[in-house]
Amino acid sequence: MPSIVACFKWVIDEAYIRRGPSGELDFSSVDYKIGEYDRNAIAETVRLKETLGAKAIALTVGLPEATKGVKDALSRGTDEAYFVADSSFGNLDSSQTALILAEVIRTRIKQYDLIICGEGSSDLYAQQVGPRLAEQLGIPCISFVQKLSIAKDQLVAERRVEEGIEVITAPLPALVTVLPDINVPRIPGVKETLMAGKKPTVKIAKDELPPLSGPLLRTISLKASRMERNCERFGTDTAEIARFVGALRKKGVIG
Amino acid sequence: MSGVWIISENRGQSLELLNIGRQLSTKMGMRVAALLYQDREHVEDCINHGADEVMLLPPLSSEQPPESYIPVIIEEARKGEPDLILLPATPRGKNMAALIAARLNVGLVSSCTEIDFDEGNKTLVMERLAYGGAAVQKVICTASPAMATIPPRTYEAAMPETGRQGHVRELPSPSLSAIKVIERKVKEREAKNITEARVVVCVGRGIEKEEDLAIARQLAEVLDGAIGCTRPIAEEFHWLPEDLCIGLSGVEVKPDLYIGIGVSGQVQHVTGIRNATVIAAVNKDDNAPIFKAADFGIVGDLYDVMPKLIAELKK
Repeated sequence: MPSIVACFKWVIDEAYIRRGPSGELDFSSVDYKIGEYDRNAIAETVRLKETLGAKAIALTVGLPEATKGVKDALSRGTDEAYFVADSSFGNLDSSQTALILAEVIRTRIKQYDLIICGEGSSDLYAQQVGPRLAEQLGIPCISFVQKLSIAKDQLVAERRVEEGIEVITAPLPALVTVLPDINVPRIPGVKETLMAGKKPTVKIAKDELPPLSGPLLRTISLKASRMERNCERFGTDTAEIARFVGALRKKGVIG
Repeated sequence: MSGVWIISENRGQSLELLNIGRQLSTKMGMRVAALLYQDREHVEDCINHGADEVMLLPPLSSEQPPESYIPVIIEEARKGEPDLILLPATPRGKNMAALIAARLNVGLVSSCTEIDFDEGNKTLVMERLAYGGAAVQKVICTASPAMATIPPRTYEAAMPETGRQGHVRELPSPSLSAIKVIERKVKEREAKNITEARVVVCVGRGIEKEEDLAIARQLAEVLDGAIGCTRPIAEEFHWLPEDLCIGLSGVEVKPDLYIGIGVSGQVQHVTGIRNATVIAAVNKDDNAPIFKAADFGIVGDLYDVMPKLIAELKK
């Protein structure tokens, strides 16, 4: 039975990030979620599982709180999960994340035919973990895929490039990163959520892995972005609409 | 040769990267080298626009993707020891950059919007957006070479200079890659229109059905603008092609005027319009985040507002 691994990240939901009084990021009322693009990776894994009769494995590395995300990934239709957790894993850079994922895939999951990642995490969106993981494993990497199928020992993928689309074939095992338009992830129902609790999860602690190398990127500051706009409001009656059009004309942006 | 390397797919990208490459190399007292793999005829052009050296990658058979060049590029980078490698933040550029960074075991700053050379510390400080655009992150690469991908149109094209000399050299052919291109579908991208349009009318989820796009098209026509959309319109409903999707994961637009119709204003979308001169919005939800990002907002039902607005603009 083929095995497909979906990698995902449990991230801060950016919609709840506020700008603090001195431009700092206010995370006090944030919630967490599986990254938007990673949901497409999981959905594509589950779709292929259903069409190929494959085993779908969810894999994540993160803070211990990401256990909620593991359950979410299982309720989205994956069969089992591997979860590398440590309280120091909140700020890994892409190279470190890829190293940990590669180690788990090589030594714990062992058998795999395809690895699917989202096009990027929805928090830092560096879009590097997929390619870096493929390089660690020495397998082909096809990024920004919008259509994917598997035939025998090779995959056929349509990937987006500047000029249009390239249709690619690659031998398996391989890694793909998927674009959001590849599918529409379904929202898990109550039954799926209940069943998720019964599926196997392999937890891996930091000290079970080889020592982690240092980050290749160092963040020196992280501040709320500024968006200074007039924020002027207008009503809907004709006088207000005329005032609105007048405001645009005054700015010289319409004729 | 140490210095700044740029790796690009076409002339337009080369000239933009040469601009920032030249600025930095001047400050760092270094040279600029360009690696070209498609627009080979632009060698002279690259030299005139700031390259001190051009490395030419040999043509590939049609079924080989440009990623095949990576082993050759790695080999050259190990010999040449550049201090900084820049690629465009296009799908291909991002993929190639990440694969190169992985092999060189160095850091890569994705979609970098600003690079500064800190002369005191002799470090490159690079800026990018995070959390869907809600945050600005400043980062430093801890290993050499530093690498970054730069979104298209972040920098203007470099200006040509007369009398420049440059060294040109051919790189060896790569071996065959396991990845094969079996078909190329060249698409007439509509995105070109919205990235260049002076007015962009953007459709969001507030539009109830596909036929109602006509309202937005009418407004675009009156204003001589182009149509764009938010992610759900393209990716869930497929009412418009995905290359009209404005936002962090889509296209960035910089028009004189952006008007969002029924656009809620999620941070990823707002990030894609942050360089518009004026942002206007029509939305019935008083609490929609778009109003915090807009200069002028009409709080009201777009089906009531739009006909009035179009009539007023026609006056």
